[in-house]
Amino acid sequence: MRAVWTLLKKELKVTFVTPLAYVFLGVFLFLAGLFFYMGIVMTGEASLRVMMGNLAISLLFVLPMLTMRHFAEEQKAGTFELLMTSPLSPVALILGKWLSSMVMCGLMLIGTLIFPMVLEVYGDPDWGIIVTSYIGLFLVCGAFTAAGLFASSVTNDQVAAGMGGIVLLLPFWLIGNADALVGDGLQGWLDKLALLPHLRGFTRGVVDSADVAYFVAFAFVFLFLTYRTLESRRWR
Amino acid sequence: MIEVQGITKRYGAFVAVRDLSFSVGKGRVLGFIGPNGAGKTSTMRVLTGFLPATLGSATIAGFDVFEEPMQVKKRVGYLPETPPLYKELSVGDYLKFVAELRGITGGESLKRIGEVMERVGLRGWERRIVGSLSKGYRQRVGLAQALIHQPPVLILDEPTSGLDPAQMVGVRQLISDLRHDHTVVLSTHILREVEALCDDVVVINKGALAAKGTLDEVRLAHAPVRYRVGLPGVDLDKAANAVGALDLVGQVRLIDGGLEVSAPQDPRVAIAACVVNAGWALESLERIAPSLEDAFLSLVGAEGELL
Repeated sequence: MRAVWTLLKKELKVTFVTPLAYVFLGVFLFLAGLFFYMGIVMTGEASLRVMMGNLAISLLFVLPMLTMRHFAEEQKAGTFELLMTSPLSPVALILGKWLSSMVMCGLMLIGTLIFPMVLEVYGDPDWGIIVTSYIGLFLVCGAFTAAGLFASSVTNDQVAAGMGGIVLLLPFWLIGNADALVGDGLQGWLDKLALLPHLRGFTRGVVDSADVAYFVAFAFVFLFLTYRTLESRRWR
Repeated sequence: MIEVQGITKRYGAFVAVRDLSFSVGKGRVLGFIGPNGAGKTSTMRVLTGFLPATLGSATIAGFDVFEEPMQVKKRVGYLPETPPLYKELSVGDYLKFVAELRGITGGESLKRIGEVMERVGLRGWERRIVGSLSKGYRQRVGLAQALIHQPPVLILDEPTSGLDPAQMVGVRQLISDLRHDHTVVLSTHILREVEALCDDVVVINKGALAAKGTLDEVRLAHAPVRYRVGLPGVDLDKAANAVGALDLVGQVRLIDGGLEVSAPQDPRVAIAACVVNAGWALESLERIAPSLEDAFLSLVGAEGELL
């Protein structure tokens, strides 16, 4: 476990000494502000529902860009050799990297807390819904960063890793809106697989254990695939 | 300390290392030489546990590289061909990270970092960003990284490649200082370096073992011993014919002011007698120590890409 902490610290240090972290925070907060404004103007409600849904979709594009560095960069710089010849288990390596991305996500979400505060000043928002929305969004982050990490473990090329992560996630978004194509019956099944239907409950103030399980399983599957990829890389 | 038994490493259909066996005794320095692409890096990666071998086994400090990789990794310091550095971090932060990876924390970590930085000549460079360092200094940081956990075994992949002559001397001196406390395997293109540093030599070519033994064994077995005969003011063509007719003498070559003779056994007495009988003046008669370069060239052929 100490190895996880060691790696987590290193990742954050590397992220925060470069402009990367600040660019991400900036872009994300800009998008959040835009969606917040749109949501208020469109609905006239003191709620974050519109912002949350749109943020989830923009995270689908933003987070693979955050995670693309992880393994691709280590491979390229040769530091992967250092990590793999240290007494460090692949599990600790993956967890350290994933948690560092989660810390970044946490910071990004904390940055958006200004918007519910604005609502509190000018309106009467439902804080229960706001809290569950944030829980949902954080779970989404966990799932997306896991998929992004997997994409990064497959290739040495950062751009390919970033695009790969997006391509991996896109279907999970799109199948949530396929009813016109596949009909209601099949859509009911696709909704179980799709991302956004599982976020809907959270944005309405409901924490359903099935939804939580969906995101946890999503993250777990991709972290596990990352593990298998790292193991198999050695045999190639 | 290191035992390698029949290691084969295949990448798909390409065989990088073929049935390689050698061993390194405790406290010895092994020079691992061969042309580019001979399989040096692959072998080192197998030893450090970065890559599994296709066949064969290897033990380091009594631990099997494949069965107990964690135990091996704890005991090996490894400097890959490209130093594995995070260019964004400062030298101090980088070494602290590596120390922590190795399970060294707190005061112990500070102490070790101070020691290795002193040792590789990086004192006072803690705050410099790794990415801003010159190649020679990056190499030193790489070495510091390999030494931080005081490993009994050091594996260095071309530690002096790309350095300027002064830096090379520095790194060579450093490795020479390390020999007392560590068992060292180093690969290099620079044969003079091997002659200056190494006790033992393994030569590989196209993935297969070409020669192994102590430095002298390899030199003697694979480089012809030559003798230089100083004959001032003598008709060298005549002398060459006379000396060349002797039983013990192999090839004879004319050089400035004398002859150079290759011979499997010491022909000096016979040569001296022959020269004196002919009434020539014999200025000198000396044995030229075989060089590793000669041995290397006879083993891998002159077409081998030498630096």
